[in-house]
Amino acid sequence: MWQDTKRIFVDSAQHLLQTTARLLPNVLAMLLFFALSAVLAVAIRAGVRRVCERLALDRRLREWGVWPTGGDARASPTKLLTRISFWTVLALGTFFGLSVLDSPMTTAVSMRLLEYVPRLLVGVAIFAIAVGLARVVERNVLIGAVNMGMQSARLIALGARWLVVLLGAAIALDHAGAGSSVVTVAFGILFGGIVFALSLAVGLGAKDFVARSLQRRFPDAGTPESPAEQEDAPGQIHHT
Amino acid sequence: MCNGFVMSATSTGLSASPAALAHGEILIALEAGDRASVTASAASIRSHLAARFPGCTAKVVVATAGSETELVDVDSPDAANTATVPALAAGGIAGRLSAVVRETVRLGAPAAALLSPGAHDESVDWLGLLLQPILEAGFDYVFPTYRRERLDGMLNTAIVYPLTRALFGRRLRQPAGGEAALSLALARALLAPRAWRQDPAYVGSDAWLVASVLAGPFRAAQAWLGRWPGSAARAEDASHALARIVGPVFQEMEQHADRWQRVEGSEPVPSVGQAGVIAGGPFTVDIGALEDAFRLGLRELGEIWGLVLPPGTLLTLRRAAAAPAEKARVSDALWARIVYDFAVAHSTRVIERQQLLRSMTPLYLGWVRGFVEDVRDLDGEGTESRVEALCGWFEREKPYAIARWRWPDSFNP
Repeated sequence: MWQDTKRIFVDSAQHLLQTTARLLPNVLAMLLFFALSAVLAVAIRAGVRRVCERLALDRRLREWGVWPTGGDARASPTKLLTRISFWTVLALGTFFGLSVLDSPMTTAVSMRLLEYVPRLLVGVAIFAIAVGLARVVERNVLIGAVNMGMQSARLIALGARWLVVLLGAAIALDHAGAGSSVVTVAFGILFGGIVFALSLAVGLGAKDFVARSLQRRFPDAGTPESPAEQEDAPGQIHHT
Repeated sequence: MCNGFVMSATSTGLSASPAALAHGEILIALEAGDRASVTASAASIRSHLAARFPGCTAKVVVATAGSETELVDVDSPDAANTATVPALAAGGIAGRLSAVVRETVRLGAPAAALLSPGAHDESVDWLGLLLQPILEAGFDYVFPTYRRERLDGMLNTAIVYPLTRALFGRRLRQPAGGEAALSLALARALLAPRAWRQDPAYVGSDAWLVASVLAGPFRAAQAWLGRWPGSAARAEDASHALARIVGPVFQEMEQHADRWQRVEGSEPVPSVGQAGVIAGGPFTVDIGALEDAFRLGLRELGEIWGLVLPPGTLLTLRRAAAAPAEKARVSDALWARIVYDFAVAHSTRVIERQQLLRSMTPLYLGWVRGFVEDVRDLDGEGTESRVEALCGWFEREKPYAIARWRWPDSFNP
């Protein structure tokens, strides 16, 4: 019995040692991947930070209203971008590292993730750009609508913002390959709804403006000019 | 040789002697317009020049702006007589001026003028008034200035004139005119810096020229050329006009920050011609609409203004808006501070510059609303006194502008 136990133990130990010896290069390769990806992530983080600083990205995004002015002073677009780039490279390095382990499960998961992550990243980038663009559009529309004397300026600006966000979300989801037909239908319904709501808001809130535009085209009507659009007429304001 | 000059009875500060009389060919450049108007203007200019400066010859050209600015001789519009100035920013007034400056230097012309092709006030010797300070009194630059109605050029009255006056200490009544008359010496000096001829930021405005003349060692005068001849350009709405006209003025404020912070008070600029504002007829302005625009702006743009204006100013604006109907107005003192606050925000780029300038429109209309009410029953002289009071506030509030310019963050929440 002792002989049997000894044989089984020695066989198991030999098997374990052989397996470890067979896996050890892969594990070392994986650790090397981790180390390389960490070094690459640090380098890319530094590069992204330098590019952002050179482009004065923080100032420009705050200037355009893409990034809120004030608030948490520690948060900035540059910091966000450097963190995203750092963790993305590190995550990709980890997936590569796992794939060299030669284990069927880890390899399959890694390969799926490596296929999907770039699409997901592009989708997230599209959505982030859309959100930033939406804020710029909102501010421009708000100022323009106020200068036109539209009482529902805020509503119109919000509508314009959500149109852009919605468009960006739909494109991002479509690119990421998530719920393709549902996204298209939902986007169509929401987009149409917002456009309809905006039409009502413009129609109700800016009927005077529309009337004045028509008057300019067909000068028989008798609607007075808005204060921001005084034209040549005696006793009127001429800005220039 | 040019000879003979008569000083206007209303002239101030000009002195001339026959020894200062200039020689040579005067360059007159007209902005491109319809052919009939240009031909009529050229004929009028020639007859005026012949009568006023008998010894002088004149070269009349049309400044056409395209991919390159051309000065086409009115009398012989063939290629041989066309001066082309390539590689300009994109035309505009900077392009036309660049062409005029180069051609002036090339010809060695003692004086040059860039004029709009519209009919000038024939009841006054407008061309003589414009060129005499340069040809006979040794001035480098003459600002063409016109008698306009009380509510004409409101942006000039509300911002450009008081701000330029407070910044540079010179009482130039219409600094942003789009026309110019300059000496050969100034043309040579302007040829040296390249920025205004190549940077697209300078294209649409002559604010850089005004600031360069006022901040530099040049002798400037203003000539009152009679009644405003009108402009062929289409009337602009307030927000576009604000962005187009005030933006370059703020830009120049930034360029010359080291100079204007050392200027105190203001002094008159030597002038020729009959100054003043035309009283005109009764107003047909809808005061209520101006007030509504101001209130709407305060309600919807308060968040944006919060990035530009200190809390105290916002509070005062809210109090003004809370006044009963037909009583809400932006006072002169508050308006002067607001203009300075927006200039600081323009410099520090708190928000995008076009957005910033366009968001100023309701505030501007709020001030205009009070001005219209104030001058409704005033004559030309009374209106001028009212404008003078506004300018006084801009000068009194200048220490505030300097403090904000130096420490912009200390005023913001």
